[in-house]
Amino acid sequence: MSEILRNLSDAMAEAVQAAGSSIVRVEARRRMPASGIVWSADGLIITAHHVVENDENIRVSLPDGSRARAALVGRDPNSDVAVLRAETGGLTVPTWADADAVRVGHLALAVGRPGDQLQTTLGVISALSHSPNDHQYFAQTDVVMYPGFSGGPLVSVTGAIIGLNTSGLMRGISLAVQTPTLRYVADSLLQHGRMRRGYLGVGVQPVKLPGALAEQLGQKTGVLVMSVEPDSPAERGGLFLGDTIVAVDGERVETGEDLVSSLGGGRIGQTVAVRIIRGGQTQDVQVAVGERS
Amino acid sequence: MDNNLLQQLNDALANTIDAVRASLVQIVNGRGAGAGTIWHADGLIVTNAHVVRGRHGLNVVLPDGRRLPADVIAYDEALDLAALSVPASGLPTIELGDSRQLKPGQWVMAVGHPWGVLGAVTSGVVIGVGAQLPEVGQVQPGREWLALDLHMRPGHSGGPVVDADGRLVGINTMITGPDVGFAIPVHTVKGFLKAALGTQRIAV
Repeated sequence: MSEILRNLSDAMAEAVQAAGSSIVRVEARRRMPASGIVWSADGLIITAHHVVENDENIRVSLPDGSRARAALVGRDPNSDVAVLRAETGGLTVPTWADADAVRVGHLALAVGRPGDQLQTTLGVISALSHSPNDHQYFAQTDVVMYPGFSGGPLVSVTGAIIGLNTSGLMRGISLAVQTPTLRYVADSLLQHGRMRRGYLGVGVQPVKLPGALAEQLGQKTGVLVMSVEPDSPAERGGLFLGDTIVAVDGERVETGEDLVSSLGGGRIGQTVAVRIIRGGQTQDVQVAVGERS
Repeated sequence: MDNNLLQQLNDALANTIDAVRASLVQIVNGRGAGAGTIWHADGLIVTNAHVVRGRHGLNVVLPDGRRLPADVIAYDEALDLAALSVPASGLPTIELGDSRQLKPGQWVMAVGHPWGVLGAVTSGVVIGVGAQLPEVGQVQPGREWLALDLHMRPGHSGGPVVDADGRLVGINTMITGPDVGFAIPVHTVKGFLKAALGTQRIAV
């Protein structure tokens, strides 16, 4: 019998075991437990937001079989990430895979610890979605996510952790939140207890731009201001109902999502140039970005 | 691009499956065909109890095409296991693996006759082994299973599951959804045969 298949088989089992020393069970909901990943040796655990239904009475089971109480540090429903602080120490920190080292077609294993033992499923990286501007790094896979796998890692063939698995962001699709997003979110949660997001105070919807303007700006759509909240940063900055926003600080705004991603936590307190179309002419208005509560 | 590694992998998969199929049989029960696994060269065949339940005039079709009448010599509804005997000798058998040593992530392949497709293969990895599998915990608490990340279908029942070395580690038995297969670990099958037939019959 050829050894290649046995070697492949053993290599995958070793990758699971290697990552497994950093995978914990998270008990934070009434239904079955889910999984989590050691974020720091002194007890920080990263898991999926949607599996943490309780804010209190959270417990984690560690790879050595012991259990510890844990407190919720913070959660971010947008990326489906939550950080817990477990009353323990001496945990094994995993190796995190570089987001750029992951390629479509690579083998990957989803690993969970919904029970006492590790469980895994195999698949490939189906697609990557990397958006450095707003720190959004996701990997889509065809791994099967069993109950309790959310919050556990997607593991590379070397045992490095590619990302945090969640079945909670898109129905029927297995996504892994990759390392740069996890770092960005975890840093914010640890510093502020939540994700800080910029606030303008406008309601918008995407609209087609007139032909000449579309050609001049090199974009087909912008977002039409449908409402302006009283005493909001937008009102103070002079944005009006009927303005069409096409860029923020030089970054194109073609959709509502573009506008949201241009208002990351780093923009809070800064004055940004909002480029609008008013009366058929483009102009810039200066808006001091507030913080969404 | 050097595809040598993937070609080697393909060859290894195909060779392993060729060997496994040699011990896969069809169990013709009047209404359809289930799968079975040759356990002993002198005609001992293992399958699921539900494949032979309530059936008379069972026949077994061997890989070489011979069709032989079969007697049910042991049957356990709770374990969903049955042993059949056919009048033959010198049959090809699969080397037994150690189902207690299987680890999550290890490669497995299952063969059977899903929807009458003879000798169809499905492959994937071990999800988990043992009694603490949430998907089946409520069905028969305390019972050990192999949970497999492969695409089992009706008609795989009774066929063999093998490891990366082509050794028998389980008998296909049930599906709980489109993406998870369960198999009876080979050590459970050994225990069943030992209890039902005595020790010398199952020496391999």
